[in-house]
Amino acid sequence: MELVLTIGLDALSFVLTLLLVTLGLVIVYGMMNVINMAHGELFLLGAYTLVAAQSAGLPFWAGVLLAMLVVGLAGLLIEELVIRHVYGRPIDTILATWGLSIAIKQLIIIVFGPAAISLTNPLPGSVSVLGIDYPAYRLVIMAVSAFLAATVYLVLFRTSIGLQIRSVIANRGMAGSLGVNTRLMDRGTFAVGAALAGIAGAVMAPIMSVDPQMGVGFLIPAFLAVLVGGLNSLLGAVIGAGIIGGASTTLSSGMAQATAQICVFVIAIVVIRLFPNGLSKGFR
Amino acid sequence: METTPQILEVKEVTMRFGGIVALDGLNLSLRAGELRCILGPNGCGKTTLFNVLTGALRPTSGTVSFQGAMISGKSPAAIARLGISRKFQVPGIYPELSVIENIALPLAAANRHPGVWSLLRQRPDRARIAELMGFAGLSQKGHVTAAELSHGEKQKLEVMMLLATDADLLLLDEPTAGMSKGETSAIAALIRKLTSELGKTVLVIEHDMNFVRELDCPVTVMARGTVIADGSYDEVRHDPRVIECYLGRAA
Repeated sequence: MELVLTIGLDALSFVLTLLLVTLGLVIVYGMMNVINMAHGELFLLGAYTLVAAQSAGLPFWAGVLLAMLVVGLAGLLIEELVIRHVYGRPIDTILATWGLSIAIKQLIIIVFGPAAISLTNPLPGSVSVLGIDYPAYRLVIMAVSAFLAATVYLVLFRTSIGLQIRSVIANRGMAGSLGVNTRLMDRGTFAVGAALAGIAGAVMAPIMSVDPQMGVGFLIPAFLAVLVGGLNSLLGAVIGAGIIGGASTTLSSGMAQATAQICVFVIAIVVIRLFPNGLSKGFR
Repeated sequence: METTPQILEVKEVTMRFGGIVALDGLNLSLRAGELRCILGPNGCGKTTLFNVLTGALRPTSGTVSFQGAMISGKSPAAIARLGISRKFQVPGIYPELSVIENIALPLAAANRHPGVWSLLRQRPDRARIAELMGFAGLSQKGHVTAAELSHGEKQKLEVMMLLATDADLLLLDEPTAGMSKGETSAIAALIRKLTSELGKTVLVIEHDMNFVRELDCPVTVMARGTVIADGSYDEVRHDPRVIECYLGRAA
């Protein structure tokens, strides 16, 4: 029973963090039809910003906030310098963001070196959850991720700016003719999507090995989550992250990592075969 | 005698797409509060003209000025904020949103200097929304999703969304497309009210001659990207250039 609960909590922790990365991908795709291949490197940038902040002597949580800001600003810069020049050209967008991902990764290797870096866990103790001792920091990760995911939902569905963002996603031409500043919405959405990946990278850094490849470890499951849940849907992001993140953690606890990943891909392929538009869009 | 000020002036506007000339040195002007209809066969450049007026296309040459300021080359959102709003041929409403949310959207976008707090709140101007719904006869449909409205109601809702932008010039692209005769008469009455009661300037693209007659307004006829006739409905109907353009020349 203890094992089941521990695996369940581990799965929830991974699902919620994966959700942050997936949400960033989904809102950027929904808004701009941009498949951002550099999204994993934004996650990476968040982790390394925390490394730099800790080296400079900043407190842990100040470093996490700094990571969110730095990666958000990086997103703004990427949108302005690269993305907006390839709008409406899906293949060019994929190539441009792929190139960008290589550039960011190499830049990090130049600055920080290729070796893995370990960060100190800011909350090393454990907390009793339903009778089992569970790492306190993992619970904090869950709380931060759930809070951010709920904030994204509330901003999109309960605020004036959220209404404008949704209008651009649904019908860009009409939104523009109603006076919605579509350019501002593009910039803002890309920056927020990047910031979400950045904060996810930062909060995960103390429990992962921080190395230049860590972004891929989140980008691939995030893309699978988007495809399984459905493009252009926040509900889809939740469903997709739940299935891919949940399956990945649960299976990894009972079999070899490689076998578990194969099983996750098989699950994704079956779901996509039965629901080509994703689970949130229904059976086709 | 006091004359009404000119609100829109299109001067020598040409729009080329490679070898195709969609607008060919077109001139057009509108006075504030005027209702005018644009007629013309398919491919004569009517929708291209609307695309140029709203900033969706940048003209190859020529200028467009609105309320005395040059607007050619500005973005669609910037032009919308200056006071030009456009209704598309296919209703550009948001089907998943309620009628109230559809009208709240342009009201939110019209907030020129929003602070962070106002962007994070969703407090639509309920009085203004109620006023607009009443104007269009949609008062009882506020919480209905737009997808559930009839085709005619969708068209009315879209016109109300344009009004919510506080635009001075409304561009209506085939507002009666796909409508029954009864719905067409209701839209004609609504459009006349836009000028007579609200003082808006309205430019309508239309194919339905009965609807144009019902609007009872000046008509501009376009062909091959330029204006070939101007006048009342009866005048242009008997104009030989218009007859030739629609029916061809006798062999």
